[in-house]
Amino acid sequence: MEAAIIADELTKHYRVKVRASGLRNALSALVRPQYREVRAVEDVTFRIAPGEVVAFLGPNGAGKTTTLKMLAGLLYPTAGRARVSGFDPWTGGAPFKSRIALVLGNKQQLLWDLPPEETFLLNRAIYGVSARDFRTRLDELVALLELVPLLDKPVRQLSLGERMKCELAASLLHAPDILFLDEPTLGLDVGAQDAIRGFLRQYRDRHGATVLLTSHYMADVTALAPRVLIVNRGRLLYDGELRALVARIAPTKRLELVLANGVTTEQLAAFGEVMEFRFPNATLAVRREDVAAVSARILANLPIADLSIQEPPVEDVIRRAFQETDPFTNDGSRS
Amino acid sequence: MTDSPPTSVRPRWIARYAALVRAGWLVDLQYRAAVSIWLLWGLIDPLISLGIWWSIAAGGSIEGYDRPAFARYFFAVILVNQLTLAWDAFYIDNWIRGGEMNHRLARPISPIHEAVADNIAYKLRTAGTVIMLWLLAAAVWEPVRIPIEPARWALAAIATLFAAAIRFLNGYATGLLAFWTTRATAIMETQYGISLFLSGRIAPLSLLPPAVVSVAGVLWFPYMLAFPVEILTGAITGVDAYARGFAWQVFWLTAWFGAYRVVWSRGLRHYGAVGG
Repeated sequence: MEAAIIADELTKHYRVKVRASGLRNALSALVRPQYREVRAVEDVTFRIAPGEVVAFLGPNGAGKTTTLKMLAGLLYPTAGRARVSGFDPWTGGAPFKSRIALVLGNKQQLLWDLPPEETFLLNRAIYGVSARDFRTRLDELVALLELVPLLDKPVRQLSLGERMKCELAASLLHAPDILFLDEPTLGLDVGAQDAIRGFLRQYRDRHGATVLLTSHYMADVTALAPRVLIVNRGRLLYDGELRALVARIAPTKRLELVLANGVTTEQLAAFGEVMEFRFPNATLAVRREDVAAVSARILANLPIADLSIQEPPVEDVIRRAFQETDPFTNDGSRS
Repeated sequence: MTDSPPTSVRPRWIARYAALVRAGWLVDLQYRAAVSIWLLWGLIDPLISLGIWWSIAAGGSIEGYDRPAFARYFFAVILVNQLTLAWDAFYIDNWIRGGEMNHRLARPISPIHEAVADNIAYKLRTAGTVIMLWLLAAAVWEPVRIPIEPARWALAAIATLFAAAIRFLNGYATGLLAFWTTRATAIMETQYGISLFLSGRIAPLSLLPPAVVSVAGVLWFPYMLAFPVEILTGAITGVDAYARGFAWQVFWLTAWFGAYRVVWSRGLRHYGAVGG
């Protein structure tokens, strides 16, 4: 089966005008403009199978959104190729655009002054959705996203989270095969983020859509995407399972202890690296393969009121992955 | 999800335009106060010009224009200007530089259709008001009455349609320069300034110096306003004059359509998709 999304050595370079501050420099730039080349995306290659959910991770300016926009056909690459749902994104035209949805967390398509239902009707006509399909799909999306109270309120009066729910509904009415989601939970409160994640999970399970998303919220990634692509400075650093990345970057787990009686730091250090100790709480870092044995020894030898085993925070793992220039060159995990 | 067979191409485009015009109409309805002010603005400067020329013509006709001819001319300017008005350069510039173009590019329909539909919606809303105002004025003021000549009115309607298309494509193609420059709206403002004189907005073209009229005659400006106005008011007559005017309209319509196609296809390749 052909991959739903294929990126093959995708590259995007921009030329941007540079100018120092001050009137003199402003005048000089008029006469002699100077440019700098920005290498936004550099030789990025990956494949995504139909129905897969993949998260693009990277710091600001890493090249995530640029790659997403190239795959959605908005940006032409400087070099490289792509196939999305069997189409070349830049020449696929209307048949290609009818197979994808692009949801941008910070720029929405909803008609600002009108109730969301007007955008739904407009998209129905633009995508040529039959009346029967429109009704069936809208009913499903309204139920999954709990849109009933929002349908007749002007978009400008909706909260950010409500607008994102309506934005998703507007983007999915044509039943796209491929969803490009750029920061779909940007700026939303925790409850709204959860609602959007829950919806995306259910939608993907029901319809088998392929999803490529970018997000700065690790909760989006852990809830939705078993596989991650990590980019930094335009280069793909890692392509693989999030779990494997966590195990590789963070070879230790955290043992969080609540002590019943006093012990010394030296006593704790005999079991692992002491990360924090403030009686009665202590946190030890212990190698993954030793966690079971060390836990048993601690319970047998120390006055323990409570013990729990934690993965290190994913945010820390990802931050460390960004900082390393290319930690995966030797293990073949980059596709 | 269920799948029904797609609708055939022609009904699909009719449905698309109906939905786009409807959305444009509903949005305009939300901004009815602003639309009324824009409409008023479209009335004010031709009426000021009329006032000035009315005073100047107190002593008799100027280059064939007496007071009633000036009144008819500037009433026709109000109507044709309202029907050919194009503001798209400002929207397109904003879409491109502010990132609003992104979701439009992800749709299976070119953004130009949304702009065309917005134009139709706005003009449907405002042209009726202008015609009503003209009829009211004509009921009480003889100088602005235009003889009922269906053939001439039909020609004026066709010329107005061409003029609207030229003006729209001129504005749209100019707005698309925002793919390269932050000065697209300044370029549009410059054209607007020139058009005040060369399109016949401030004065009938025949009152301008002959050299200026010669230059204007080969540019697109008179064919966006003065030509349909002069047909409607009877300032030009005869097959030769009509044929020459329509030939220039077809030429500039083709030229600006070509410019739009070139700027659009090259602009997309240059696009940086800023602002999310």
